Amino acid sequence: MDLVTYWLSSVPEFAVPFALAALGLIIIERAGVLALGAEGMMLVGALAGIGMQLALGLPGLSLLAAMAAASVVSLLFALMVLVLRINQVIAGLALVFFCQGLTGLLGTLLGWTNRPVSGLTAVELWPLSELPVVGGLFRQNPMVFLTVVIFFAVVWFLNRTRSGLKLRAVGENPQAADAAGLPVLRYRLAAILAGSALMGLAGGFIAVLSTKMWIADMTGGRGWIAIALVIFARWSPWRAFAGALLFGGIEALIPQLAAAGVQLPQYFMLMTPYAVTLAVMVWVAASKRAGASQPGALGEPYVREERR
Amino acid sequence: MTELSQPLLKTSRQPLLGRRYTLELRQQMGWGGQALVIGLAVLVGLALSTAILVAAGVPADQLLEEFVGQTLLDAGNFKAVLFQAAPMILVGMAGCLAFRARFWNLGLEGQMIWGGIGAAAISIFQIGPEALRLPLMMASAIVCAMLWTLAPVLLKLRLKVNEVISTLMLNYIAANFLLHLLYGSWKDPRDNFPYSPAFRPFERLPDLFAGYNVAIVIAVVIMALAVWFISVSRAGLYLRFVDANPRVASAVGVPVRRMILGTVLLSGALAGVAGFIVSAGQEGRLTQSFYQGYGFSGILIAFLARNNPFAAAIVALLVAMLFVAGRNLQVFYQIPFSMVQLIQAILVICVASSDFFIRHRLRRIQAGEQ
Repeated sequence: MDLVTYWLSSVPEFAVPFALAALGLIIIERAGVLALGAEGMMLVGALAGIGMQLALGLPGLSLLAAMAAASVVSLLFALMVLVLRINQVIAGLALVFFCQGLTGLLGTLLGWTNRPVSGLTAVELWPLSELPVVGGLFRQNPMVFLTVVIFFAVVWFLNRTRSGLKLRAVGENPQAADAAGLPVLRYRLAAILAGSALMGLAGGFIAVLSTKMWIADMTGGRGWIAIALVIFARWSPWRAFAGALLFGGIEALIPQLAAAGVQLPQYFMLMTPYAVTLAVMVWVAASKRAGASQPGALGEPYVREERR
Repeated sequence: MTELSQPLLKTSRQPLLGRRYTLELRQQMGWGGQALVIGLAVLVGLALSTAILVAAGVPADQLLEEFVGQTLLDAGNFKAVLFQAAPMILVGMAGCLAFRARFWNLGLEGQMIWGGIGAAAISIFQIGPEALRLPLMMASAIVCAMLWTLAPVLLKLRLKVNEVISTLMLNYIAANFLLHLLYGSWKDPRDNFPYSPAFRPFERLPDLFAGYNVAIVIAVVIMALAVWFISVSRAGLYLRFVDANPRVASAVGVPVRRMILGTVLLSGALAGVAGFIVSAGQEGRLTQSFYQGYGFSGILIAFLARNNPFAAAIVALLVAMLFVAGRNLQVFYQIPFSMVQLIQAILVICVASSDFFIRHRLRRIQAGEQ
């Protein structure tokens, strides 16, 4: 029983980075840009967050720094895919490698590696936090609750506002959107900046609030898992939220089982998020629903001069 | 007469900022022009890298010495470069082959790990006579790596599972399995480090003469085979059809799926050989990080070489120089090895960007033209 209680209370901490990164990916991909750079954006956010936290020690400001840093670096991605029209797979991969190298270098040169920081104290959502068993779910750091708010805001933006509709139009059919007078590249740039900020926030959350220190390559493939999550969620924010809870739940189970003294080979436990990702991808592909709700122009650069 | 010259005069007097330009697709650019643009891109990349290195604390006057003088002119380091080039050439070839089959093989590191595990298994369980040990290790590395490659390529062909994600996930799984072995049953009982027992002398790649290891010979032979496969063999011709347009290739009778399957397995096999060379050559045992950095470099080499195996060998040699110089910088200036990855990424971004200038050109809009 205790195991379930502890596990439930630690799920949000693991689920939030997946949820935020997936949401950022959905914004960018709904605008028709394939964003493989999530892992890199998260690393940039994590390093910037830790840097700010070491300097000033204000978690809110550190998370803002994480978002800002990821947005700034995403300008490089925007330059590559929007202006220079580089193949979006190559641009995304190059961005991840660039960010891995950059953050690894800066983290060491600036001496930010392995320096613990203080996170945020938990906030109780009374009276829900008094519930038995699930009460722990409602005793979380404020960022967890803010994530839910962000989800509501983004879903409302995408589905209920004019700009959200235009953004989706740009991703479904840029030719038609352009003919209707929408500035395709400007929408895509805005989507890249906003989505990357969310990915940076996801990285900042891991570093500042969860691990509470910087280690090179600390995101450990979570950005790639988030990409798989978006495919699994068929580009729907709420399904991505559910998927994030699933993956967070699996990740949260690993330390709990170890603490409970379950004798399982440690490294096989550490494999599970990746194996589950693979299994989910196979399941989605086998159930033949993968392409159904994919944004129509995902991965295609829009070039007015080459309009068909 | 005056009516005709009027618009001409007008354009020539247009102020610089008032001129309008339009971007248009270039039909084709000559080889010389392309080489010039790519060369300029590499120069820009090197200039940026230099700036970062100087900012990180390497004295500017030492850079040329560290990257060219130390790597090519110093005998010991030159041997290290050749030694380092062998696995680089192999992962570069692996990247070229997979990309030619339109398969994003980001799983080179996982395949290297399995190559290393396959080779080490032969050593640990002492399979086969001493004289046959090295060939057996290499064969085992190839088989293990190919088996590890089978899943993502079959999933891609059968179910269209995105191979970028699946191969990356398999890398993480392979890396954790390697740690499981090295912290568990395969740990060297003699000390407390997470590595396998050292390979016996006859299980290590020998030197040909005076410190020049046989690894580079293996790599060059495999490179020659890859060149033959891509440029001479019937399969290579089919592969070019597949690369150009899988649908048309299928329509004219090319066995597209079998070609993709075979080529990607071959790519995995080459990565496995690279894993064998690093473990049986450089490290002399299985270590927890022997594969790190090769996956990215393999993709980079294939990309920079435009999937051409000859060019890939040359780029691989340059990347090997970068690796050796990077290790020296780590020792002498405490520059983290991430610098090597950053420089590689900058070069990729610059060269990828240069493609834009090959495919497009600016044209000035004359006055009166829409």
